[in-house]
Amino acid sequence: MKSLPDVRLTLAISIAKSAGFLSKALGRGSGETLPGRVLLTLCPNAIELLSRSRVVILVSGTNGKTSTTKELVSQVRTVGTVVTSGSGSNLTRGVAGALMKDSVFAVLEVDELHLPAVVAATNPAIVLLLNLTRDQLHRMHEVKRVATRWHEMCKEADPSTLFIADVDDPFVNYAITGAASAIRVSFGGAANGRHPDGAVCPSCGRYLDWNLGKYHCDCGLSNEYADHLYATGSAGYRNFVLASLAADTVGVHNALTNIELRTDYRGMERATEKVFGSVKARIRLTKNPASWSEALAGITGNNVILLLNAREVDGIDTSWIWDVSYATLAGKKVIVAGERGADLAYRIHVEGIESTLVDTFDQAIELCGIGSVEVLAAYTAFFALVGR
Amino acid sequence: MALKIVRIHNELLGTYGDRGNADVLAYRAGLAGISATVIDISYRDALPSDADIYLMGGAEDAAQVLSCNALSSGSLHGAVEKGAVLLAICAGFQILGKSFYANGEEIRGLGLLNIRTEPGSQRYVGDIKVHSELLGVDLTGFENHGGKTILESGTTPFGTVVVGDGNGAAEIDGAITGNIFGTYLHGPILARNPEFADLLLSRALGAPVSVVDPLANEYAQLRRKVVK
Repeated sequence: MKSLPDVRLTLAISIAKSAGFLSKALGRGSGETLPGRVLLTLCPNAIELLSRSRVVILVSGTNGKTSTTKELVSQVRTVGTVVTSGSGSNLTRGVAGALMKDSVFAVLEVDELHLPAVVAATNPAIVLLLNLTRDQLHRMHEVKRVATRWHEMCKEADPSTLFIADVDDPFVNYAITGAASAIRVSFGGAANGRHPDGAVCPSCGRYLDWNLGKYHCDCGLSNEYADHLYATGSAGYRNFVLASLAADTVGVHNALTNIELRTDYRGMERATEKVFGSVKARIRLTKNPASWSEALAGITGNNVILLLNAREVDGIDTSWIWDVSYATLAGKKVIVAGERGADLAYRIHVEGIESTLVDTFDQAIELCGIGSVEVLAAYTAFFALVGR
Repeated sequence: MALKIVRIHNELLGTYGDRGNADVLAYRAGLAGISATVIDISYRDALPSDADIYLMGGAEDAAQVLSCNALSSGSLHGAVEKGAVLLAICAGFQILGKSFYANGEEIRGLGLLNIRTEPGSQRYVGDIKVHSELLGVDLTGFENHGGKTILESGTTPFGTVVVGDGNGAAEIDGAITGNIFGTYLHGPILARNPEFADLLLSRALGAPVSVVDPLANEYAQLRRKVVK
């Protein structure tokens, strides 16, 4: 016989599913976050109840959450059924919505600030901590603040929870110093010689000197020692290795075989391709200084559209665009659009790059004529485009 | 004449994009036919005392304390006494005062401005607009801080708050003493307010500067229209 909480949960799930179905049928939304919201209202501990009987793996970090979660899902699927959360629904309601279907595994992308609550509720088997850099400062306030919350989370987590972390990021390394069980992974040092926001030791507040991507603080925080050492690589490669370590831990065959020689992670770095009229567009998500710098370094074509918005999830302050160098755009045809396009047009102007400023993406595409264009788009602009 | 612009501890005081202030000054100086160089001084470097303009930006608490400690050796005091221009934003502004709070502790500041900063009752986050008496225009920016700053004798407000919180007290923002300017406006402030950039250039040069850059003016006007 089912216990009372289980009956309540089953009822809540069927109501939440109907709500999602209705909302979709009435054209009120994609039906992705509403069921989760309804479920949590009717049964506030739904996440906890629905996590009990499965292996939960969580993925969090400033950049690469969505692609890493996708990669991990495709690997874990080879050993059991998987439910996952879609991008853009990585808050608690998205997590609740994803768990409504039965499965052996749940592989979930979780927002950085929501992660401690989700860890407490799901008692996960594995948590992947990718990276922490400046993002949405009006909401996160400071990188150190997020790292401190993660540190407390690692200390309070069940000792059986395994944290897999890239310790070349000192904020992530500091977070897992509190964990009972952790795999510390290094790629021989941080990219570009140093972490872009890592001038101060997050553990003790001393000045952190960097030497070819390595750091060693007097308090002991360091990336000179790790449980696994891999060759250096792109952000996509780093996240691929972390995902493969998690896959290996849950029994995926050959997850780590010849990992340094593999190229199948390239899909994690690829831009989304889409055709608009007679223009083929390669669209990249660029949402903070770290992802802009990575995307700008990868530009190969001669036509570029830059889209900047500043809504809540984009970060409502655009000052950070001054922390990125746009030198790779020199000599290219650059069109700027988006709600904060004027900010970006003036920013690159001061670096000597002139652009055409238009209001909308469609006007920008029209200016491209025929051929191909590379599009760098802020969070809301990116999802508006790929959803078209 | 060539201008020497020093960007102080950007790796510590660069959390909120204020590094752009130096770039805008050098760019506008160039448009006015004046050569300008930007020198980045890190925490481990000695601060030169012969520059014309010094710039400081916003930071997280631990970084703010490190920067303050490094600057207490006195080179900045010497430069300011010789009449150099100093612009400090947010955490940098607080460092210039008599005291400020970081990680819940009261820290002794550089004492270059007669101000003190206390923990505010809330965090002040959002678009900000202040009216500048000195320039006769409204300036726009973005603020993101938890400190409340109180002005004492010998300082004048940088501006009167039109939108936002500024110092979090007395409906004013920032402080000015001579050629020392402190404010809570990120943006960066000089990118969004070219008149203020030109004021700093003319103070450093001892003569008015004439800069023509329509895009800068259009951008400034747009922000002033939008922030209300």
